[in-house]
Formats: sequence, structure tokens, C-alpha cells
Amino acid sequence: MIVFDKVSKKFPLGNFALNEVSFEIEDNEFVFLVGPSGAGKTSILKIILKEIYPTSGSVFIDDEDITSSEFTKTTRLRRKIGVVFQDFKVLADKNVFENIAVSCQVKSFPNSETKNKVKEALLLVNLAEKEKVFPIQLSAGELQRVAIARAIVDERKYLLADEPTGNLDPKTSWEIMKIFKKLEKKKTIVIATHNSDIVNSFQKRVLVLKEGKLIKDQRKGGYDL
Amino acid sequence: MKEIIISIRRTPYQSLAGFLVLFFSLFLSSVLFISLSFVNSLLNYLETRPQVTVYFQPKTPESNIFKVRDDLSASGKTLSIKYINQNQAYDIYKNLNKDNPLLLEMVSADILPPSLEIFAKKPVYLPEIAEYLKKQGDVDEVQYQKDIVDRLLSLTNILRKSSLIFFSYLLLMSIIVLTTTTSFKIALKKEEIELLRLIGASNTYIRRPYIKEALFMGTTAAGLTFFIFTGGFLYANTFLKGYLAGIPNLTLDFFTIKLTIWPLDIIFLLLMFLLVLTFGCIIAVGSSYLATRKYLKV
Repeated sequence: MIVFDKVSKKFPLGNFALNEVSFEIEDNEFVFLVGPSGAGKTSILKIILKEIYPTSGSVFIDDEDITSSEFTKTTRLRRKIGVVFQDFKVLADKNVFENIAVSCQVKSFPNSETKNKVKEALLLVNLAEKEKVFPIQLSAGELQRVAIARAIVDERKYLLADEPTGNLDPKTSWEIMKIFKKLEKKKTIVIATHNSDIVNSFQKRVLVLKEGKLIKDQRKGGYDL
Repeated sequence: MKEIIISIRRTPYQSLAGFLVLFFSLFLSSVLFISLSFVNSLLNYLETRPQVTVYFQPKTPESNIFKVRDDLSASGKTLSIKYINQNQAYDIYKNLNKDNPLLLEMVSADILPPSLEIFAKKPVYLPEIAEYLKKQGDVDEVQYQKDIVDRLLSLTNILRKSSLIFFSYLLLMSIIVLTTTTSFKIALKKEEIELLRLIGASNTYIRRPYIKEALFMGTTAAGLTFFIFTGGFLYANTFLKGYLAGIPNLTLDFFTIKLTIWPLDIIFLLLMFLLVLTFGCIIAVGSSYLATRKYLKV
């Protein structure tokens, strides 16, 4: 469960990335974060990942206050979270298999278990035949599928995606979203997106942000700014 | 291993620069280590030799020699006096030149001088004893070791101090160069490290490839240094044997072990390799640790 309690993030020049934002995301919930650029969507994801720290307020993940000064288990927290980025962040010198296996390796999984899990993930994202291929030989859609496989391979509880379809054409975007759909109810999924078609068609919970404030929280919402 | 080779191939110049600096440091450190070992063991050797040796004319009657010995003993300034007659001198000569039959053929016992090897109770008595001996009628030569020992001691001290300064300089230079080259490598992998951190990689996991590469470089540089030295020693063995012909063996106390420095001993060579290996790995791993520490902001 993810809980934001009056979370603010103020930048040194005085502008707010987030301004007293509060919400709760239940386990296995599917949530879209929408809003114009600079609304604070990415800041929310970065705070969950402890990439940035809020100026005030508290964030609880699985009942642990990750914003507390006593919280030192950042590595353990990040091992619960799979992340998908707009620019894929796939490692160019590793092949598809190795890129996905990295998630298991950081958790010191045995090689045999890593191999099995990567194979399963490759099947889920329809890349089973490209495990030996290097990123330079893949299309943008395939790269994003590699990134998703890496985020889900070791059964991480949370899946955060920051504009996962931002660099993709509409058809590929839908293929990517179908993968997220398959993961529904198995993980807590938070997707920050601009893609109104996708948000409208999924009919999932939507948190609408504007100028750092949470202005709407719709249980079965659409892309309505 | 595959990971290390890929990393070296990706940044060959940085890897080569790091390796060469490490090798250079290890090589020069080995030169210093071996020089110090030799000088120290030579000093030990000379300190165990008689402090004054007096050689008499070959045909000096033994009674005259014994009179000198007894007078010296009666003075109370000597610790011990050993008489070496011509036959004993010849045995020593034969032992020293056993590999050179030509020299053995040319010398017989009757041309070798009898001698007294004298150890003084205190070093201050040495000039007095030497002066007394020089005034005796049958004396051919008085060898007075104190000057040699003092000079060698002073040389050892200078060598020890300059080695320390030079070694510190090498250490600093190696660490700076290796930290810089590793930082270059890390900078090239900046995005990968950022990603690894975000997916929950520990600092140890992120450091591991750099530490492995550092260990590889340290081991390779130490191995190369060792092989060059061992090869050099074996090549110069004949020359050294001739040069150190009068010295049967040189030893050095290393903690509780008595190391044989000369003739060349496998234990000494292995110890040198272990020291160079440890030094190389510590420098390389330490530098990688520093480079990654800066980047990981631990």
C-alpha cells in the first residue's frame, strides 16, 4: 500500500513540484497519474523510489515511513519496485536476456532461478525469440517490452511507469498497454501518462494533478483535465 | 573474466594507463625492496664477521702469533680471538672457490697468511686494537671492519629513508592515476549505475565489476613484475656469483623467519611475489573503491 500524506516538494527557487498531495493506493490497484507537463507526476514516482525527498509530509509504503530520517532501507525498498521509463533505459552492451536478468542478479537469485524467471518474463512480453538480441537491433516497442520484462521478472510488488508510451506510436503503445493489462490484479501499478486514449479506455482509477496539486481522484475515471 | 575483458576492451587506453602505472610502481617498489634486503643482509653479514682481522706474514712462527693473541687477551679489551692457521685458511679458500678449479690449482696452503680474527668487547676498543696490531713486526695487513660497517649502515639508513619517500610517492601516484582511470570508466557507465541503483542494486553489487577488474590488473602487474625479476636474477646469476664470491650466504630476519637472500632462494622469491601481489591488489582495489565511493556518494 502506498500512502501520501500532505506531501510537498518545493524546489530551491520556491516553485512547488508537489503541494500538500495526499492519496492512498491499495495493494494490486491500477492507477493512472495524469496532468500537464510539470504537474508533479514524475515527482510522485521519484519520491516513491526515494530518488528525491519531499520538503514536507510523509510517504508510507507497506506501513513504513520512507521519508523518516530513520528509514535507511532504500535498497530493500527499491527491490520491491519495478520501474519502466519513457526512454527505456535498456543497457546497450547487454543482450535482451542479460538486460532482464539484471533485476534478479541484484537480488542474488541463483542462476537457474534467474534463467527460469527471465524465460517466463520473455513469454509474457512476447520476446521469447529475441533473448540473444542486442538493444541496437530492437525497435522502440521491443525496447519498452524489455524494460517491462525487467521490471516484472522478479515478482516485484509495485510497478511504476513514467510515460511508458511517450516515445511510441499509437499501435505499439496499445501493445505495451496490453502487457500492463495482463499484470492487473497481480501488482500495484502506477502509470504516469499523457495518453488520453489509453486512460479513457482503461477506465481505472485516475489521479489528476495540476501545478503540483491533486485536483481529482476518480475511481473509474478518464483523461479529464 | 568475460566481464573484465569486455570492460578492458571498451576502455583500452584507460586500462592500459592504469596497468602501466601499477606495473611501474610495483617494479620500482620491488627494486627498492630487493636493494634494501640485500644491503640489510650484507650489513648483518658484516656484523657477524670479525671486527678486526690481522694477517701475518706466511712464514711467521706460530709462537709469535700466539704471543700477540695472548697479549691482546690479557688487555681485557677482546671478547674472543680465533686463530686461523695456513691449512685452515686453505680450507676456507677451497670452499670459497670450489667452482673454480683454475684458482684452486694456483694456490697452496703455504702461500696463504695465518690470521687472527678478533672481536672487541666494545666498538671503542677497535681503533686501539688495530693500532696495536699495526705496530707488530710480523703483521702483513690489518683489516678493520668498523669503517665498512659504518659506511654500510649509513648507506642503509639513506636507502631506507629515500625508499620510504619514493615508495610514498609511487603509492600516491598510482592511487591518483588509477582512481582517475576508474572514474573515467565509471563515467562511461553512469546511466547503467543510475539504473542499477533504481532497481535496488547494493553498492557492493555496483562496485563488484570494478573491484574484479582492479584485482585482475593488480595480479597481472604483480605477476609480470615477478617474472621479470626472477628472469633477471636467473640471467644475472653467474655474474652475481662471481661478484659475491667471498660471501657464502646472506640472510635477513623477517619477523620470525630467517630468509636467505643469497644464494637465490625460492622462499625469498615467493615472499617477494606475495608482497608485490598484496601491494598491487591493495593499490588497485583501494583506488577502485575510492573512485566508486565518490560516485556512489556512500
